[in-house]
Amino acid sequence: MGREASERPNYEILAIITLASNRVLGGNQLSILAKNEDEQKTITQDIAKAMKADVVKMKNGDYLVLRV
Amino acid sequence: MKEELISSEHIVMIVTAIIVGTLARILTIKQDYRQYPSYPNGLLIHLITGFIAAALGAVAIPALMTRNFVAVTFLALAIQQFRDVRKAERESLKDLENTEYAFRGDAYIDGIAKTFESRNYFALIVSFVTALTMQLVNSKLWVDIVLGVSIGFVALFVLKRFSKGKTIGDIAEVKQGIVEVKDSELFVDGIYVSNLLGTENAQKLFQKEGMAVVISPNEQHFRITLDNYGQRQAALFEATRAIGVKRYHFTRKEYEEGRIVITLIPIIKDIDRFIEAVKKTPLLESVKKSHAVMETNLVGKE
Repeated sequence: MGREASERPNYEILAIITLASNRVLGGNQLSILAKNEDEQKTITQDIAKAMKADVVKMKNGDYLVLRV
Repeated sequence: MKEELISSEHIVMIVTAIIVGTLARILTIKQDYRQYPSYPNGLLIHLITGFIAAALGAVAIPALMTRNFVAVTFLALAIQQFRDVRKAERESLKDLENTEYAFRGDAYIDGIAKTFESRNYFALIVSFVTALTMQLVNSKLWVDIVLGVSIGFVALFVLKRFSKGKTIGDIAEVKQGIVEVKDSELFVDGIYVSNLLGTENAQKLFQKEGMAVVISPNEQHFRITLDNYGQRQAALFEATRAIGVKRYHFTRKEYEEGRIVITLIPIIKDIDRFIEAVKKTPLLESVKKSHAVMETNLVGKE
């Protein structure tokens, strides 16, 4: 949770919640395509709460749920 | 049978030296805001090892005086024992790492463990010096005791001065920072800190309850010490220990002026306590750079 990790990166991406179907790609993380922004926010918060994880809003509008 | 018994002078010498040595350990256990060693069991362990160290130092002189030269080799055993104290301390602190608000960090743990080892040597040396003084003076009993105790305390004072460390407050200015949340990014005094505030809840929470301090080094060369990851981690640890963490804690360094940011959402909203905790964070031995040593002009070097 917010631990300084610039010297020892150990971030784990748990999920990516996007509105663009071309960004739903493979990988370890869960990729979710939301219908609209409201749904995107709700899904993000639900996952983050359940996994006790942090959220990054990317400039392109996607949400990353990650654990530090 | 009587020849094998220790003389009453030696008993007085040993007891006095043990008392002074143990007192040296008691006086060097700091029970401050860091609450370490923990009370009561952690404290008791260190008092007992201090007592053992004092006893070892106290019996060295009588052992020599009775021509028991082999017995002095137990001092080597004592050193091994104290190294084990350091090891045990390190293991115990490392085991606790995942239960704290923030990591202490390996550098801080190393510093604490070394300090605990060295404090046992304090007890040993002080009791040894006390016993040696009493043996050398060899006057009336009360004169021996008074001089032994006095020289013992002088030795303690010198050792304390020698091992005294500095704190962040000695080399830097610690001030409150202004927390600013722009979308999902967090800034303190205009310094970018993190973009982990992706949700509106997190942004509101940080804007409302977030607190920050900014550490500005007094001299440029102190930046090397303050920028060290272990040192920053130690400061963050002390801050989280003092005021708690509700959610999020970050440190960030800024390279233009060498400022360090520590920010978090505390349980107790007390900025003075926050600043004080950061100021009083010890400068780690493994991180410290002696400017005087760096400037030493070695023979044959320009």
